[in-house]
Amino acid sequence: MNKKKAAAPPDPVAVLRGHRASVTDICFHPSDRILFSGSADGEVRIWDTLQHRTLSSSWIHSASHGIVAVSSSSSLGTNKFVSQGRDGTVKVWDFAHAALSRSPVLTIKTNTYHFCKLSTVKNPKYFPTKELGRPSHIEIPDDRRQDESAAQSCSQSSEGLQYVALSGENPSEVEIWDLKSAERFVRLPSSIISSSSGVCNKDRGMCMALQLFLPSESQGSMNVLAGYEDGSMLWWDVRNPGVPVTSVKFHSEPILSLCIDSSCNGGISGAADDKIVMYNLDHSSGICVIKKEINLERPGISGTSIRPDEKIAATAGWDHRVRIYNYRKGNALAILKYHHATCNSVTFSSDCKLLASASEDTTVGLWELYPPA
Amino acid sequence: MEKRELEGAVVTKVREVISAITNAKHVDEVVCALHSIAALLFPLDSSLISGSIEEFYRDKVLRVKIPSDEERHDWWDAFYRGVGFPTLARFLLHDVAPNWLGCFPIAAQKHAYDVFFSHGLVSEVVQILVPFLQQNGSDGLDVSTVISNSERLLVLCLLENNGVLQLAREFGGPFKSKGFTNVQIRPAVSRVAQIVASIPDKARMNTLTSLSSQYPLFALPGLDIIWVCMFFKKIIVQLLSLAEERDMTLLENVDMLDEMDKNGALLFVGELFSRISRRGFAELLSSELVLRVLRLVKKCLSSSNHSSTKELLESYPESMCWSRMMEAIRDPYIIERISEQILHQLVTHDADDVQAYWVLWLLFHRNWKVQASIRSIFVDKFLLWKVFPVTCLKWILQFAVHECPPGNSLSGHDRPRFSNIVERLVTAWSKKEFVQTAPIEQQAYISAALGLSLETMSKEELDGMKNSMHLILQGVSCRLESPNDLVRKMASNVALVFSKIIDPKNPLYLDDSCSQETIDWEFGFTARKIVEKTKTSELPSIDKDSDFPVNKEKSISVKSKKKLLDFDTLDPDEIIDPASLNLESDIDDDDDDDDDSASENSYSSSDSSLQPYDLSDDYSDLKRNFTQLTDIVAALRKSDDAEGVERALDVAEKLIRASPDELKHSARDLTRTLVQVRCSDISVEGAEESAEEKRQRALVALTVTSPFESLETLNKLLYSPNVDISQRIMILDVMTEAAQELAESKILKPKQPSTRETSSLISVVSDTRPWFLPSSQGTPGASSWKEVSGTGAFQNWSNTYERELPPKSNQVMKGKTRRWSLRSPVAEQNQMEFSHNKFPMYAAAFMLPAMEGYDKKRHGVDLLGRDFIVLGKLIYMLGICMKSVAMHPEASVLAPSLLDMLKSREVCHHKEAYVRRAVLFAASCVLVAVHPTYISSALLEGNVEIASGLEWIRTWALDVVESDTDRECYMMATKCLQLHAEMALQTSRALESAKSSFKSSPALPSDASKVTIKIPYLNKD
Repeated sequence: MNKKKAAAPPDPVAVLRGHRASVTDICFHPSDRILFSGSADGEVRIWDTLQHRTLSSSWIHSASHGIVAVSSSSSLGTNKFVSQGRDGTVKVWDFAHAALSRSPVLTIKTNTYHFCKLSTVKNPKYFPTKELGRPSHIEIPDDRRQDESAAQSCSQSSEGLQYVALSGENPSEVEIWDLKSAERFVRLPSSIISSSSGVCNKDRGMCMALQLFLPSESQGSMNVLAGYEDGSMLWWDVRNPGVPVTSVKFHSEPILSLCIDSSCNGGISGAADDKIVMYNLDHSSGICVIKKEINLERPGISGTSIRPDEKIAATAGWDHRVRIYNYRKGNALAILKYHHATCNSVTFSSDCKLLASASEDTTVGLWELYPPA
Repeated sequence: MEKRELEGAVVTKVREVISAITNAKHVDEVVCALHSIAALLFPLDSSLISGSIEEFYRDKVLRVKIPSDEERHDWWDAFYRGVGFPTLARFLLHDVAPNWLGCFPIAAQKHAYDVFFSHGLVSEVVQILVPFLQQNGSDGLDVSTVISNSERLLVLCLLENNGVLQLAREFGGPFKSKGFTNVQIRPAVSRVAQIVASIPDKARMNTLTSLSSQYPLFALPGLDIIWVCMFFKKIIVQLLSLAEERDMTLLENVDMLDEMDKNGALLFVGELFSRISRRGFAELLSSELVLRVLRLVKKCLSSSNHSSTKELLESYPESMCWSRMMEAIRDPYIIERISEQILHQLVTHDADDVQAYWVLWLLFHRNWKVQASIRSIFVDKFLLWKVFPVTCLKWILQFAVHECPPGNSLSGHDRPRFSNIVERLVTAWSKKEFVQTAPIEQQAYISAALGLSLETMSKEELDGMKNSMHLILQGVSCRLESPNDLVRKMASNVALVFSKIIDPKNPLYLDDSCSQETIDWEFGFTARKIVEKTKTSELPSIDKDSDFPVNKEKSISVKSKKKLLDFDTLDPDEIIDPASLNLESDIDDDDDDDDDSASENSYSSSDSSLQPYDLSDDYSDLKRNFTQLTDIVAALRKSDDAEGVERALDVAEKLIRASPDELKHSARDLTRTLVQVRCSDISVEGAEESAEEKRQRALVALTVTSPFESLETLNKLLYSPNVDISQRIMILDVMTEAAQELAESKILKPKQPSTRETSSLISVVSDTRPWFLPSSQGTPGASSWKEVSGTGAFQNWSNTYERELPPKSNQVMKGKTRRWSLRSPVAEQNQMEFSHNKFPMYAAAFMLPAMEGYDKKRHGVDLLGRDFIVLGKLIYMLGICMKSVAMHPEASVLAPSLLDMLKSREVCHHKEAYVRRAVLFAASCVLVAVHPTYISSALLEGNVEIASGLEWIRTWALDVVESDTDRECYMMATKCLQLHAEMALQTSRALESAKSSFKSSPALPSDASKVTIKIPYLNKD
């Protein structure tokens, strides 16, 4: 649509107003035209992204603590979403017909009081065209796998992979919790052998950003990419909870957000320093290599997201701007100015048509950019 | 014939002629008698007279024996040098002129009467003629005829016949021929010169027609000066032609100094020039002089190509005369006057540097060599005491200091006199007293002199002068403290020149404005004078726009290159080639083996849509806005977050003006924080001013919105050792502005539920209206009082108020009035009424704490000494407060304490003119602020405090007018005296009326009359 060079960047197609406090996290429903947003006063709103209005609103975490993250993923099922509060709990919610259940399906007391957003499992997905001959069956390790019910029409075999990764009670550790049993599944580094490994000492500081994913190459064992306070990034494989697969340090300041593309072959990270790093994950050799480093004039990227079609990536900046990059080449495509406060999060809808940005100015912006073919 | 015999014959002849004329019955007899002697003296053609007289006498005339030339010459000599001429001349002037001259035929008058004067020995003629100008008619003579005749003859003799030139020749003559000695000639020369120069004084004022025949008739007494000018101008022209006509015979052989004394012609010229100059015509003389010399120099310069101008000038014969002529003027005062005028004339003639140098050289090079007095005139008086335009200064330096024509290389040779002069300049310049007392023009002049001479100096020369470096630095530093930016500019200019000597590659710019290559040594003085003229007409006021040095001090500018905002390392204009993207995706996905071509195609087709948008960005929205006062305080305290401080300053004023409820609580904190913010630290180069301004505006807003709280803090900080001088000044500025703002504020309040309804029922004991408004009683239905805005800029003595009155019942309104609104009397009642001045209630809080500690010397606080600028500002602020409280009762309460402060010796006789000016301003403010009725009642009550204070203002202002060196000071003092006089007049009036009312009713009628109960007036319309 924008054949002409240097057109003015577009305005948001819609602005969702209603939150009374900073919108901390947003997340699209994996299939429906629904957006979840959580705010710093503990409110969750469910929005109809077609009509741009609130479907429901409820305080699901205490107002004094607020919500850190909301997440909805096909791995959870289409009628569930997870919310993480700063009150030390993670709650799983059922919703039907856009109405939220009065009480959570599940409440996990994680005793975590940090800002690290939890992460649900991301597994290599297929493009909507489904022409690619990717293996659609994911081997899920039998001992951890729950019964796979292919109940939802649009969701894939990953349904039921109900794990979340979050920064643990000891914030330098990553914990993976099973949402079915509400039990901690694994701790990284596992406390037993952490003393023997020199890689993950406490010098890294707190874990600041996480991404749980299930690469096709890993024979169904989950991997975690975790960003730490000192700017380093560790790649864990749950099969080896003691020692990370690899450790890299691209940033000089705490990593604030991580995102892995849909094929799990690369990702993007934003930190409190003035750069965005794009990298490739080489699963066979287990190394992470930098692909592109983008320098910013103003530091602080609190959210990153890669569109499911892996064409563009978006970042949410402290400088109130949402920036769009060509994910393949790494060149800047647009600077979206609408918010007048720090942007906390960006996310793309699964159909690649919408981009949502959440900001401290209590609004959520919806954008339509580079529509997919 | 022997000389004595000849003289006897002359006397006999004269006696004959006189007796013949005395007995004459007919005019022709008189003509005949005169002709008979004239023929002996002058080469006359008798036929010229004979034509106009009767037959009988014609023969007689023609029969007169014509002597030979030689005889005639002897006769002439004997006649004029002996007693013959005086006798005959007196007779001619005294008797013939009134009795016979009117009947003379024109030719006879010319050849038989005038000839005695026009062809005589001028020195004698003048001595006879001039006393007749003052003839007084006691013995029944026709005095006016005598006088006008003498005037006519003088014009004929001196002006038309070039008599003055002849005089010079006459005095030159004896020296050559007879060897007059100095003793003999000198008194004669000076006597004649004295007589000639006094002619204009003696000539009658209004009857100058005869002496100015070719000029318009000036009957007005004021215009005789023009005639005097004309007279002197003609004389000067004659004398100057002496030099121009290259008549070297007169002026030769005068190279030796002592011979010079004996040359009568030069003596006469010098004497006459001195006397003319003494009479105030040095300008005239020098303008004529410059005209001629400059012409000569120009001619000379245009003809000379490369040869030395000096040699060429010397080759001109007349060129030397000028110098000798100047040498002939022996009076040093006159020389000074003339050379001063010459310099000014050169400026008006637009001479360039080379021309001016050579003009000065031609005129003064001999004097310069010989006379110490002229050297001191140029080097001392003209450099240190007088003030010339800067171009003149350059010439003076060139001629008197460098002593070589412009363009010659100056440095290098040994110049003892030069360094001596520079040393003297530096010593004078660096003194603090000089900065304090000298008029600004002179300071500028000496700074320019110093700067210009420094410009020609080398480092070695500077090193050679002991102390010079120290003195220059001292002078610079004491100037940089000055409140006057012009003085600071002088310092920075001199410092720049000085630094260029020390290190030419690294000039020191103390000021942004002098970054250009050539320094403006005139300091923009021409423009300033015009401004000053307009300023004097207003009330004395401190130059408010003169900046403070402290703000400027830090602007030692290092021009930092503004980093271009290199926006993004990525090229926004980059065209994404689908193919390359495709290729890259291939490379990227090389481990993705199953990426088939179909997907690639889909990539390429869709990736072409990934055209970048316009990636330009601005940051205006990034400035986070503060919404809470506490946020602002917090942000201001974080001095390391410059951006935050700046943004806080941006919003501070607005937020304070909104006057939120919590303002009262955080006012103290906020005041302190705002005062202590270092604007220079936080803002980018060049933008300090605006940050400073914002801070100041915020403080003003704060002081206006919550005066008591913030004033408490401000006054504490004012004398706190923890703030620097710039902060103190800022505090005072803030207080000044706040006082003014409070005084001008308009509070709207609902009108007193009104005169008609309520006050008729309830008597109001205390009226809330200000006391100075007229009482609201009177015709019911009248609107409220409004002040009539006067045209004058300043508060008037008598404020006038007006209000609309309803028509009286017997008045019939004719015609129709249409109004486009419903205007019922009720609506009128609801009108708002505003009180004008909010300041008086805060005045004490403003003034009293500030006046407390000014004279205490504490750590870091020394208002009377080093921090005099703060003192000046403080007094100015107090003055403004006084003015703002004018005509309110508070003024009378506060005035005595303010006057006490001003009265103290260290304040009113402060060394710095800046402080004295402030005191004058404050005193003037007191004069206009105190209500005359208060003064009168204070006097009646026997309270003399205020009266003595006001009397002190008068005496002190008188003292300043008489003795202050600063021009602005004494101008302000005169204005102050005027105000005092006016105030005294008003007070005496008030006193009289008070006394009369005192007698009639001992209990003064007070506001009690307001309490009268009024009958409601129901039917208004």
